[in-house]
Amino acid sequence: MNRRNFLELTASLAGTTLLTTTMPWFSVFNQPASFGKGAGDRVRIGVIGVGSRGRALYWNLRELQQHMNIEIVAVCDNYLPHYERAIDLTGGEAEAFLDYREMIENVELDGVVIATPLHEHAQQTIDCLQAGIHVFCEKAMARTLDEVKAMYDAWKESGKVMLIGHQRLFNPVYLESMQRIQRGDIGPVTMMRGWWHRNTDWVFYRDTDGRGTPLDRQRNWRFYDDYSAGMISELGSHHFQVANWVLGSQPLSVMGSGSINHFKDGREVWDNFSLVFKYPEDIHFSYDCITSNKHNGMQVQVLGNDGTIELESNMQYEEFPADPPAVQSLIRDIEEGANETIPIGGATWIPDAPIRLGGRYISPDYELNDTLLYMEGFINFIREGTAPEKLTLEGYNASTWTLLAEEATKTGRDVTLPEKYRVSG
Amino acid sequence: MGTRFYALLPDLEEGKAERLFYHLRGEVNRIEQKMSRFLPESEVSRLNAAAAGETVEPDEELFDLLQACRYIWEKTDGAFDLTCRPLMEYWKDKESEADEDFQQVKDRCGFQHLLLDPDQRTAAFTRNGMEIDFGGLGKGYALEKIKEMILNTEAKSAFISFGESSVLALGEHPAGGAWKIGMNNYLDPGKTLHEFRLCGGSVSTSSNFRVNDSGRLVNHRHIIDPHSGKPWENLSAVSVHAESPLLAEMLSTACLVSESEKIRSLKEAYPEVDIVRADYWTPEVVVTSY
Repeated sequence: MNRRNFLELTASLAGTTLLTTTMPWFSVFNQPASFGKGAGDRVRIGVIGVGSRGRALYWNLRELQQHMNIEIVAVCDNYLPHYERAIDLTGGEAEAFLDYREMIENVELDGVVIATPLHEHAQQTIDCLQAGIHVFCEKAMARTLDEVKAMYDAWKESGKVMLIGHQRLFNPVYLESMQRIQRGDIGPVTMMRGWWHRNTDWVFYRDTDGRGTPLDRQRNWRFYDDYSAGMISELGSHHFQVANWVLGSQPLSVMGSGSINHFKDGREVWDNFSLVFKYPEDIHFSYDCITSNKHNGMQVQVLGNDGTIELESNMQYEEFPADPPAVQSLIRDIEEGANETIPIGGATWIPDAPIRLGGRYISPDYELNDTLLYMEGFINFIREGTAPEKLTLEGYNASTWTLLAEEATKTGRDVTLPEKYRVSG
Repeated sequence: MGTRFYALLPDLEEGKAERLFYHLRGEVNRIEQKMSRFLPESEVSRLNAAAAGETVEPDEELFDLLQACRYIWEKTDGAFDLTCRPLMEYWKDKESEADEDFQQVKDRCGFQHLLLDPDQRTAAFTRNGMEIDFGGLGKGYALEKIKEMILNTEAKSAFISFGESSVLALGEHPAGGAWKIGMNNYLDPGKTLHEFRLCGGSVSTSSNFRVNDSGRLVNHRHIIDPHSGKPWENLSAVSVHAESPLLAEMLSTACLVSESEKIRSLKEAYPEVDIVRADYWTPEVVVTSY
């Protein structure tokens, strides 16, 4: 799928439940906000946090700059080497700050992109919203349920756009898959499974003074309980969002367990865990993560009575594929004791559709970047001053259930959502 | 291999047939793992990653297969050529004529730019950006191996199909006599243009078109004439019947992009092989049996 096919797909879905209810944000590509070309119409963006993810988002914005009237006017990072790198990256054209508060006070901004450690998200997002700035914040939303709810409340009060960076929300393969699932192509959905397995110590920065030191806590923040829920928030949250989305509901409860059984280097977060989410209609979503074996890779499967969709590998499998006509007539003849001529010659080898044995690609030749599409959506929503509420709620529900899943692994209890955090959806 | 694999094993009792099928499937998967250019770890991908002049030592099986391909490449005057992938990509979705990039892409294709050293058993590309593509041939090769496997079991007859473009029939049809395989008329599906009688042989069919939703034939432009570097224009299908599935596959590919005269000389070189071409570019379907 290229950009042209993608636009054809979204255009063909205009007005369907899929595009009005399940994933309304895709409509923005059919009806993009109108853009003036002048300096006064330019969307002014600031970037808070220019580490590994922040830099990727920055490059996506730069790519958008080629055909959208936007400007990256400010960058910010409180870690000196990244602050300096940000200045290099922008060629000095954006104003650089060590403190985001100074940035939002001194620079006129329409939107910010936040890619900082998890525990910093809430305060930064709330400050920006209260300053009247639209926010795109990396997933997950925040470190605690109270912070997540505070972000939600600040968003409601501000009337601004607040989007959470689950980029699969903007992935056309997921759009195409959701269409098939809702149309019943794989029959009734009876289970979901997912996993993210890697063989890595997950150390982002090695030049710290050792695990537990202040520098390591700042750099390798994903290892520390105060700052992150580890792989549950940094990896799993993506797929928890997908499960909510596919099953059209948030879970009823979550059970789980986790441990550190291999990387005993002083990290405070699980190096492996396993979860079971219960959804309405007696459907389960099981999910596990491990960092000491990569055999299974990463996957989310939607299991239906007639077929299986593997979202991460863009594949669909049928449970009972029909036999081709020649094989059908051959079997019939053999059963009837007849030997008739069987005309053969199906489709000849089409080499650009690399179908794996037993399955076929949902979207062959996929070449789009979902993070870039999400950024493009964000810019459009800034122009419109509003975004579909459902998009923000996807982030909210994924974030609350990320933290509830963490609680389940720590307590061993079957955890439900406390009423005070229930918003809707 | 981008296609469905069928095995009919009519005379074996169920448990035995199932066990044999698992073995066959395992063999197909093994070949896929080795020959697929889509799998980054495969032997073929390792070769394809090599830059010009870089010597690669393919494993024994791949090297032997490459040598067989070179032999048929020579025999067919270059009509059978596994290195045309860049041209295939070039012409994909291209509605216009060749542009200034064409020559540069064509220069990266051609089996003559793959050096095989039979003493050292090494391979090297002489141009950058070259690729070996076993996409179509993999099926013929897999059938070749499957044939050996089945002949070593107690199965007396078998019918194996890879997406119907490559089939293998061993022993007798359960109702008696040879397996009768027809060449399908694409303009009148289900009607037979030519009948092959198989007992211990294989039929491979190559064509340069697909049938669109309204039943018309459309050139899919995946079949490249290695000489001109352009998609083969005349709509045709070629079926080859040979004892060796691998040979059938190679010859059907080569004959699709060869003129009649060349096909006749190949038939002389391989008298035991049946070659049948159905032309669809003429007002009526024309079937030529060589």
